[in-house]
Amino acid sequence: MKRALLALALLLPLVAFGLWPIAHLVWRGAADLGASAWALLGSDPVRRSLWGTVLTSSGAALLAFTLGLPLAVLLERTDLPGRRALTAVFTLPSAIPPFIQGMGWVALANPRAGLLNRWLGGSWFDIYGSGGIALVLGIAGLPLVLLSASAVLKRVDSALEEAARLSGAGALRTLSSVPGRLALPAALSGASLVFLFAASAFGVPYLLGVTATPPTPTLTTRIYTEVLMGPRGLSTGAVMSALLLVLASAVQLLSRWLGRAGRVRLLAGKGARLTALALGPWRTPLGVAAWLLALTLVALPLGAVFLTSVSTSGQLQHPTLAHWSSVLGQARTLEAAGRSLLLSLGAAALVTALGLAVALVRTQARGSGWLEALASWPYAVPGTVLALGLLVTFSMDLRFVLVDRVAFVLALSNAVWLVLLAWTVKHLAFGVRNAAEGLAQVDPSLTEAARVSGARPLRAFVDATVPQLSAALTAAFTLTFLTCATELTLAVLLVPTGQDVLGTLLFELQSYADPASAAVIACTFVLVVLAALALQAVARPRQEAR
Amino acid sequence: MSSPMVELHQLRKAYGATAVVKGLSLQVQAGEFIALLGPSGCGKTTSLRMIAGLERPDAGRLVIDGLTVDAPGQHVPPERRHLGMVFQSYAVWPHHSVFENVAYPLRLKKVPAPEREQRVRRALGWVRLEALADRRPHQLSGGQLQRVALARALVAEPSVLLLDEPLSNLDAALREELRGEIASLRSRLNITMVYVTHDQSEALALADRVAVMNRGVLEQVAAPQVIYAEPATAFVAGFVGGANLLDGQVEAGRFVVGAHAFALPMPAPDGPATLAVRPEDVVPGGEGTVLPLSARLFLGHATEYRFSLGETVLRGLGPTGLWPTAVTLRAARLFPRR
Repeated sequence: MKRALLALALLLPLVAFGLWPIAHLVWRGAADLGASAWALLGSDPVRRSLWGTVLTSSGAALLAFTLGLPLAVLLERTDLPGRRALTAVFTLPSAIPPFIQGMGWVALANPRAGLLNRWLGGSWFDIYGSGGIALVLGIAGLPLVLLSASAVLKRVDSALEEAARLSGAGALRTLSSVPGRLALPAALSGASLVFLFAASAFGVPYLLGVTATPPTPTLTTRIYTEVLMGPRGLSTGAVMSALLLVLASAVQLLSRWLGRAGRVRLLAGKGARLTALALGPWRTPLGVAAWLLALTLVALPLGAVFLTSVSTSGQLQHPTLAHWSSVLGQARTLEAAGRSLLLSLGAAALVTALGLAVALVRTQARGSGWLEALASWPYAVPGTVLALGLLVTFSMDLRFVLVDRVAFVLALSNAVWLVLLAWTVKHLAFGVRNAAEGLAQVDPSLTEAARVSGARPLRAFVDATVPQLSAALTAAFTLTFLTCATELTLAVLLVPTGQDVLGTLLFELQSYADPASAAVIACTFVLVVLAALALQAVARPRQEAR
Repeated sequence: MSSPMVELHQLRKAYGATAVVKGLSLQVQAGEFIALLGPSGCGKTTSLRMIAGLERPDAGRLVIDGLTVDAPGQHVPPERRHLGMVFQSYAVWPHHSVFENVAYPLRLKKVPAPEREQRVRRALGWVRLEALADRRPHQLSGGQLQRVALARALVAEPSVLLLDEPLSNLDAALREELRGEIASLRSRLNITMVYVTHDQSEALALADRVAVMNRGVLEQVAAPQVIYAEPATAFVAGFVGGANLLDGQVEAGRFVVGAHAFALPMPAPDGPATLAVRPEDVVPGGEGTVLPLSARLFLGHATEYRFSLGETVLRGLGPTGLWPTAVTLRAARLFPRR
């Protein structure tokens, strides 16, 4: 009975703020445009944006897959020099907003003033256009392939490889035919997630696509520009959102199917024995290649962001810290940082608490899988679509009063709450997933021991269950906080002028005014992330010892 | 002394369509040590968890210390049953020190700090862990963890101590040691204990009475010596004594299994029956029933000889170094055909 009430209490906000806005958006687009919605879908601009999305996302997925699978095999299964450090470098892009990485590539490979082009003398590289978008998003998505392949590779018993060696295969042949083959479905599933991630991205396609010659529109950037044009654009945006949603759902189904089809039944029970496969003569060349790749793809763009932050009007002859002192001391920056901090903390707290509640109901009540699905679903919905849905749905009442520029009037009146709401809904999946994994590892007898010792159910939960979950809940909180702190896609549609958060400030400075100031904020954020990761790395061995 | 401390009346429990405990009735006297013995999946752990209040019976009545704790429409939650329980997985809270683990039941009972400290020290003394009070669980060995669990279960002086396979996660030497410790604790504290195990030697060595369970029902409840010497059913003979169980036919003083016939060492009426014979009563060699030898296993003190008998195997013990081709039965028991 209590469980049913809790499930219902969770169901209402999940439907109201997750499912309903999206459904409403799609319905709104169809209703406003009627039959012309179909014509719109076939129109040239929409076709071009769809093509842009498919092209850049496929490129990103392909890049992440081709790099990710061999890297995962080398990093997990061999004696490649500096494996642990390399793993950290290659997974770093998942902790740094793609927009910041995009800024780095602009600084490096801007056709006129990019550092690479200036060093080499001439216009060798051009980061603008679909190729550049695919490159940046592919690198940002690389950890998705790397992590899903590694998860499989960690469980492969070394005896499988040794059997291949004894059958006559060399080191590289063994790696490609045994672990490479076993991790292939997981890597493909990861690559389809990269496609989803790239198709939902807004910041990078905007940065590298809108100002390109010729412009490379994608669905997300096109929706954004449509919405800026007012109520009519809102309807067009709604229809395009429906299109993006269909595309995203199809890819997600594909990813899920790949993940399931490729699930290899590896010997469970006694932990698989892991012996690093000796690369022999290949060790040095492969090591050098991997390190060069890591430095070029990950470290170089971040370094370029730093150089931008100390340059004077694009020149590096006289490095200066003037931008740092001016930007970090500015009231506008501080206000945005404060707003981001509070909203991200709020979203992280809500995500952690709600995620735990959903996961609890899921484990306690049979047949409540749909609740978990409902809570995790918005994460797969492209941020632009979710933001637009919330905007359209929660501006309804005001529309009658303020006919024009609806979105912005509403956002002005209660923007902060709408952003908080959007971030919470979007990232609830983090909370659910972490709490569910944590709960699965909880030893029920620890809680039962508390009950037998005389603790009531709630007391036993607090005293014995929650401490076991603390690591998982901390992870959910930190992940949500860091993601929201520079979140861009949702914020850019939901935050009004004058109420900047870090993400929108970064976006505005980089796109319109002042890349150097944007670089200062980006650097600060990267430093914060690196510090957090270092702290985590120091804390982890101690936790494992416990 | 004679008032029952725990009374189970026709307890039933099913998970979905699978009946796990099918009408269990048992009385545990105050101060008695009773072992619930049976193979995995026989319902013994479920029965113990029902006594603890961690599972709710579907039917039947459960009385602890004169208080009905389970009956149709009635359920006293575990925290109000004043029991101690030791879990197979130790269930020592990793985020608390040894002292805090043991002190927890007293904290919940709001025992004032000075008295709490004294009682925790005393309980740690019972299990010889005084020196490790400030350690963290990850610094302890499995045997020490199980002692912490014992101290925690005993600290509040419960009316009944429940033990769920407490030794099965330990290695053989530690098991031996802790078994002795439980026996001495028991004689010192004179507490009622219900001890679940699948290890017959543990049950026989420790308990006042052994309750043998199979497929959700009790096969026999008796003193260890009785269980061993006079098993009530073929299952008990097989599980506790490790007897060979043969299905066949008694015909004129002989027991016939397929094409083979054994001379019975005791008189018996003709008819279908299950024969239980311990390996030590199967004498290899000499004149007798001729059987093909399928394997010889050197056990140290003796050698186990295995003979093929149709689909099954007959195990016998004898001196090392024989190549027997026949066996005789020294002693055996007959039970109604399974």
